[in-house]
Amino acid sequence: MTQSSQRVAYYYFLAAVLLFGLQIAFGFMTVAKYLGPDPLIDVFHFGTSKAIHTNLLLVWLLTAFMGAAYYMVPEESRTELHSEKLAYVQLGIWLAAGVITILCYLLGITEGRKLLEMPTILKYGVVVVMLMFLWNLFMTMRKTGRWTTTEAVLLGGLVSTALLFLPALVHFDDFTLDRYYRWWVVHLWVEGVWELIMGALLAFLLIRLSGADREVLEKWLYVIVGFTFLSGILGTGHHYYWIGAPAYWLWIGGFFSALEPLAFLAMTVYAYNVLRRSRLGHPNTLALHWTVGSSILATLGAGILGIAHTWPGVNQWTHGTHVTTMHGHMAFFGAYVMISLAMITYALPGLTGRTDEERQTKLGLLAFWLMVGGMFGMTMAMAAAGITQTYLERILGLGYLDTQLKIQVHYLMWLGTGLIFASGVACFIWDFVSAGLPPAARGALEAPPAPTPAPAPAGAPGPEAGPAAGEPAPAPSPA
Amino acid sequence: MTVTKAQTRGFFVGGTILFTLVFIGLTLDTHAKLAHRTRDDPVTEHVARGLSVWGKFNCENCHTLMGEGAYYAPDLTKIVSQRGAPYLKQFMADPSQFYSEQEHGRLMPKLGLTEQQIDDVIAFLDWVGRIDLNGWPPRPIHVQGSSIRGIPGVEPTGGAGDLATTRGKALFYEQAACASCHAVEPGRRLVGPSLAGLVGTAEGRVKEPGYQGKAHSAVEYLRESILEPDAYVVTGPAYGADGKSFMPSHYAKSLSPAQLDDLVAFLMTLR
Repeated sequence: MTQSSQRVAYYYFLAAVLLFGLQIAFGFMTVAKYLGPDPLIDVFHFGTSKAIHTNLLLVWLLTAFMGAAYYMVPEESRTELHSEKLAYVQLGIWLAAGVITILCYLLGITEGRKLLEMPTILKYGVVVVMLMFLWNLFMTMRKTGRWTTTEAVLLGGLVSTALLFLPALVHFDDFTLDRYYRWWVVHLWVEGVWELIMGALLAFLLIRLSGADREVLEKWLYVIVGFTFLSGILGTGHHYYWIGAPAYWLWIGGFFSALEPLAFLAMTVYAYNVLRRSRLGHPNTLALHWTVGSSILATLGAGILGIAHTWPGVNQWTHGTHVTTMHGHMAFFGAYVMISLAMITYALPGLTGRTDEERQTKLGLLAFWLMVGGMFGMTMAMAAAGITQTYLERILGLGYLDTQLKIQVHYLMWLGTGLIFASGVACFIWDFVSAGLPPAARGALEAPPAPTPAPAPAGAPGPEAGPAAGEPAPAPSPA
Repeated sequence: MTVTKAQTRGFFVGGTILFTLVFIGLTLDTHAKLAHRTRDDPVTEHVARGLSVWGKFNCENCHTLMGEGAYYAPDLTKIVSQRGAPYLKQFMADPSQFYSEQEHGRLMPKLGLTEQQIDDVIAFLDWVGRIDLNGWPPRPIHVQGSSIRGIPGVEPTGGAGDLATTRGKALFYEQAACASCHAVEPGRRLVGPSLAGLVGTAEGRVKEPGYQGKAHSAVEYLRESILEPDAYVVTGPAYGADGKSFMPSHYAKSLSPAQLDDLVAFLMTLR
């Protein structure tokens, strides 16, 4: 941490991890309903529970991305944030919109488009928050005129996320078109512009954790995000196979989806090479765990498990079964949850005024392994459920309800491994909270007040001139 | 070979611009083709209202439609042609009349839909069911039923007579999807009555004093039941209402005369 205004990130991260906990609680209720019978069927049925589970995921990840950006941009641009106050107001509006959305769902007020269920008026609230956020970042970067490639890619990802939210505001009476543009938001977020955010955060973390040469890392960052768009944009076609769109999407979607793992694979190779050369020397080993873990599980979940069922010849049988659930869970966890937790773990010691060594807790490590192990188990349980469902229901022609009765045991496994995952999340939250508040806030609560840390002097402006403050000396580079 | 940062930036920027332009081009083409594809079947006001009912009641966070949605409840893409509107009306008014959580594992909550909303959402589902989905699903997805049929190609076939039966069986399970409502095991009720011992039932039925139809033999009775389901409505818990059968009435149009012969040939094996 080099700028005092980076502390706003702490409150974003706090909100993010608490919402993560809430998301998992709703996940539990959702999977329990598969086992049935459901005593709450008339007041809080599966559809409500699931919508809250998935929406909370999107909300907390975006909260973590915002926190990560508020942490990273002042450090990369070597200046204080344009307005700390605006960042706090933004967080307040964002969380208020989130709470109102959940209350709406509980009361049965929904727009009913999967993942975009939020009532339209609240969607405009999201647009306002996004504008405040991007304005704040843009003004900060403008102050010194120092834009690193890493933060430009991050900003590119965030601006595109905001722009691609706009199709969510448009409605079509034609269901095919309604689906067509829903995927512009959902697919182009998670298989497109969010990968820019992930790539930028990964690059930032690798530079900080390994001391590798920024020029080399940023060069490869362009290759990675280049692959993302090369495959991801036309890869949208794999959502257009069966919605009434022309048949050419079958081969376009199939071909470009097959290329989608490339970007993730490149990220793994990139992280592996960088860290092998630096010999994992950084004291924040927890952040190293999450960073390496993310690059590996993203390839597995988003890349390999994705390609396992995007080929049209396979997808015609697996489409709409738990094979999708399997891919979705590990992809989101590997790519976006783990990179967010990596960023949080990396930033937390500085934000709370602790040393890296002090924050290498056993609880933090336990959280990592419980989450990774639990998610692996859940993915296996969902795979078993999905493959069985595909064969019984889609290939042999057993009825949906009969098939569901035959895969109950997999739901039980899902619940059990989910429990392991949830205990990991609980450990993570507890570990986060036990680091305490940022020194300034602690000072305000305690008597006598502790002095707030003096803002570090802004680094010398000038485009990409040498390592930024807080950056370790360059190690041999994997050029 | 050393790649420079300017080159990798060029790869990213150039590739992104190129593929974005291709994507926009394909989107315009898709729009143009959709207008063509739905020209004979425009979105009526009724269908559009049905889509908003679909959203308002959060249907796709339990069901899938065109395979998209959630996996807690059956896919509804072809539900109107499988079940027919009269059945669906009755079902949506109170699903617990048709399914129980204890027996079937899942139950749809009573959503309190108005009659207008039910009509609208059925019109919407009917419209969706007629979209050209590039052949999806490759085999019918049934809500319920435990009849695992033989795998095509390995099923034993006999002489020419058996060929009609085999084709009829495929119709029963596949194209016409009769199996999504009728089981062939004795005593197993899906939506319609079980067809176990069908031939005996049909032979007896035409002789019953209460029977008002035109058939005189089992074969004629089966043909009549398929083409005009209202000719005789079997008394049962949820087979029909007000003298109207819940069975869809589109088979006179959707089956060719040859297919009808095949289907009846198969049904005549259910002794």
